[in-house]
Amino acid sequence: MATSGAAEILLRYDDDQELQHFETLFGNDFTIQAFASDRTALDYLASASKLPAAIILIPKQPDDHLESSLLEHAREQHAGILKILIGDAIALNLLVKLLDDQLIDRCFEKPVNPDVIRSHVLAAALTREDQSPFPDNGQALEGPKPAILIVDDEPTATRYLSRQLEHMQTEFRVLSATSAEEALLTLRDDYGVAVVMTDQRMPGMHGKELLDELRQSHPTIVRILTSAWGEVDVAMDAVNEGRIFRYQKKPWYAGDVLILFRKALAHHRALVAARDSSRSMAGQQFEELRQQRRARLLDQLSEKVDGYTGEPITADFLDALATIRTLPAQPPHLRASRETALEYDLVRDFVGLVCRQLDTLEPGPMPATLNRQAFDQALADAWENPGATSAAQTPLTALCQSLATLLNASGLKRTDLDITQAGAHLNVANASALQIYSHLLAPITRLSRPLLEQQSAVLMLFVSTRLLAGDIDVTGGDQSLRFNLRLPARTD
Amino acid sequence: MVAGQRRLRLYVTMGQRLLRDSLLFQILLHDEVELVGESQTGVDTLNRLQAATPTVLLIEENLQDNDGLTIAENALTVNPSLAILLISDTPVSSGRMAIYLEAGIKAVVSKDQPIQELIKTLFYIRNGQVYVGNWQQEPAPAAMLAYQALSGREREVAKLMASRLPVRDIAGRLGVSCKTVHSYKDRIFVKLGFERLPELILFMQRHQHGAAE
Repeated sequence: MATSGAAEILLRYDDDQELQHFETLFGNDFTIQAFASDRTALDYLASASKLPAAIILIPKQPDDHLESSLLEHAREQHAGILKILIGDAIALNLLVKLLDDQLIDRCFEKPVNPDVIRSHVLAAALTREDQSPFPDNGQALEGPKPAILIVDDEPTATRYLSRQLEHMQTEFRVLSATSAEEALLTLRDDYGVAVVMTDQRMPGMHGKELLDELRQSHPTIVRILTSAWGEVDVAMDAVNEGRIFRYQKKPWYAGDVLILFRKALAHHRALVAARDSSRSMAGQQFEELRQQRRARLLDQLSEKVDGYTGEPITADFLDALATIRTLPAQPPHLRASRETALEYDLVRDFVGLVCRQLDTLEPGPMPATLNRQAFDQALADAWENPGATSAAQTPLTALCQSLATLLNASGLKRTDLDITQAGAHLNVANASALQIYSHLLAPITRLSRPLLEQQSAVLMLFVSTRLLAGDIDVTGGDQSLRFNLRLPARTD
Repeated sequence: MVAGQRRLRLYVTMGQRLLRDSLLFQILLHDEVELVGESQTGVDTLNRLQAATPTVLLIEENLQDNDGLTIAENALTVNPSLAILLISDTPVSSGRMAIYLEAGIKAVVSKDQPIQELIKTLFYIRNGQVYVGNWQQEPAPAAMLAYQALSGREREVAKLMASRLPVRDIAGRLGVSCKTVHSYKDRIFVKLGFERLPELILFMQRHQHGAAE
């Protein structure tokens, strides 16, 4: 849900000076609702028409909030609200406990960097969705038995823990790596890793860095940091930046670790289920949007385009596009299609561009004059003057202009065209496939001039070839397109 | 920056050479940044990105050949750990910002914002963090206020430095030691939030009829 106006923060403070300081720092950025007790804050939450983006707690004694009714309420009722604790000195035990109880999402020590806090809150406000937590149905996922990967440069303890865990249960496999680098290699080969527990202090890449990397490359792998050192700043960074699931102190006790891993596996299953459902939902919903888009393009273009030759060029063109595979639809594509003017603008701007190009198109000179030399000359002209929209275009210049646009957009040269004359025909094909990263029927987040120009060039390829009494054959691939034009030509 | 962090391996995709050079002159003053590649076009970026192994991609939204965002989405499928900073021509709306963040873009800086904002953002996102700056509000004229809070002597030194006078000459002119001038210089930079002389020169010359009395 995008915000309108300033995002709101619910501030729970103990000290008036803290309130003043907070208002000085963030008063310009956010609407701040401040409360000196959980009770008043809860009353506000119950009656508020719009939920705050974040709850920020600045307590005198952070330990007092281990059983905060406000945080518990937010955890149970409003999973989408970001919960931030700011304290003078945060004890590691407190942080571990708050994380175990899922009472907070971020934690900072004073003095805070206002940029960072602002960014966390704004990002939460912007990307907040109704995060109805996906219930874990306890069902094992398909595929191999899930694995837990333990990363520690001290192999003795790992080996001991692994053996214990393997005797205690049969739900998961236990893998180990002695460095972050080795862990990344293991992850590349084993697709069943569901949880990674890594030590922080290791030669080479540190645990925190590994977790940062995994958060992006393997977002459904549950991340746990473990350390014997009790560095609270590392733990805080891991929470705030690495978004770790838990912090496990050393030494390890197999019984505790087993409970932790079971929770982590359940969390992993919930993450996978949420991802799969969002993917398949996005795919289905985009399919509908695609059909609507196709229908509107066909509706608004066919009369004008097909009128030139009497053939169903528009439909052929759209069918050809549909064969080009692009990246799958994701939630931001749907959001762009639904919450912005994208769908409307796409059809309007494309139809407008095509109409302007068609209006400058004059039939003739007659295709009978076409030969290899004339084609080469026209292509050279188009190449010299990219995007030139002369007052009047012949089908041949329009064709060459389209070829130049398409080759350029794919970073190809004129010499990447295969031009051969066979009897009374000139064959034009692309030796290297055109790169089509996106097209009119693909999921897109944004309308851009290059996209529109590239797409209209593909359509003009169809139109001008037909006007030259030729045939066009188009094959889509993975983000790519191959074409084959067969034009009647004069033999010399 | 914090010790032990990875070097920032930067790839820059910007159509115009002049703009690319200007940015890089500023960015590369920071010694943890290493330029591992640059492109004018989106296609070229995707062709070369994997071999260059950058950690951060700075890419313009409006490129000549393709949409910068589409290129960014493709770059992320190849390398999901890549932190992408998108440069937009104009400030983006909150609706669009939400779409960009959801698409995996780590930050958006518009061409209306000062270079300092871009560099700050670059460092915030280096380890894959999302960074949302104060992108819709007019930045407070922080440097201006800070300038007005400088002492008379500090302003004098700032003016002489902005006229590119060497420290030794400033010391001679003010009748103080070089060491004193250096400590004025440090204080001025801290107070104005600048890191380097070119920032001070630009600031002073831009405001010479206002700020610099």
